[in-house]
Amino acid sequence: MPETELDPVIHAPARLRVVATLAALGSGDELSFPKVQKLLGMTAGNLSTHLRKLEDAGYVTVTKTHEGRTPATYLALTTRGRAAFEDYTAALNTLLRGAGA
Amino acid sequence: MTTDDADVPRTGTDEPDERALDVAETLRLIREQQDQARDATEPDTRLLCLAWGVAWLVGYLCLWVSAVRVADGADVVLLRSGAGQVVGAQPEPWAFWVFFSLIVAATVLTIVHTVARTAGTRGVSARTGAMYGWSWMLGFACYGFVLGGLARAGASPEVMALASNALASIVVGLLYLGCAVAFDSRGLFVLGVWMLVTAGAATFAGLPYTYLVMALAGGGGFLVMAGIEHLLRLRRRRLADGPALAGRAGAVDA
Repeated sequence: MPETELDPVIHAPARLRVVATLAALGSGDELSFPKVQKLLGMTAGNLSTHLRKLEDAGYVTVTKTHEGRTPATYLALTTRGRAAFEDYTAALNTLLRGAGA
Repeated sequence: MTTDDADVPRTGTDEPDERALDVAETLRLIREQQDQARDATEPDTRLLCLAWGVAWLVGYLCLWVSAVRVADGADVVLLRSGAGQVVGAQPEPWAFWVFFSLIVAATVLTIVHTVARTAGTRGVSARTGAMYGWSWMLGFACYGFVLGGLARAGASPEVMALASNALASIVVGLLYLGCAVAFDSRGLFVLGVWMLVTAGAATFAGLPYTYLVMALAGGGGFLVMAGIEHLLRLRRRRLADGPALAGRAGAVDA
């Protein structure tokens, strides 16, 4: 995996926060759309836009389901998304050390 | 983890100071976001240990104080050991009321807090958590039946008092060991072992000392655990805020 640039999909602050939030869960865990929305303080439309980009990159899965009669949406990081996030933080840490911190 | 070398040359292309600030800021943002996410999805062990510590400490101290006072007073239900020696008394009803109210309050707080924190989560952890929650329910439902059976078989008040405290501590201790295994927590394992030691010690101490052991070792154990968890959390935050900003991923790579 050549990585000469920071991953542009994650580098946008809003998407970074979405990915960081989902990465805080264990692998195999999902978080409901409203809970993520509340945690990030985003509007539903805004969050959906960013989720679409993350979904297109294969970083996040969006599962629509029903709980009783209420529709529910759950979000999870894919294995690829988790790896991308780890690469991203590793790259940041390298940059930080490289800058003489 | 293997791509570090590819990233290094990039640092030369930016203003070093500006870049460092940006990077540090971003790492801080990530950490804060993740702390916030964990706080919103995982029950706070400190709060739960504090609640149970207070419930056991205050509740069992009331039972102890009442049992000792009754043992010295005139109208008492004395408990005698096999040798006929007075070893304690049944605590008065008020003490049991305080004790059970505190236990009920701690139970309600635990359930409400855990349900609120884990709402909106799904998957492996949620299933593990649900099974763990049911383990408590089933453990204590079974506990009730066992005590009922012992009473029906004619167990004396002393045996009932010893069995009820010992069995409760064993259930609690074993469930903490199970929780430690399920969620990979060394702290909870130590707490579980401590509760099992408390169960044995409290039963051997005999009445009314059982209540004192339960209050100090049991309740005290929970409170110490709450304190340790709090200190560990402060330390984690302080380390993360340090100048090197050794985030989890960074520390592994270093």
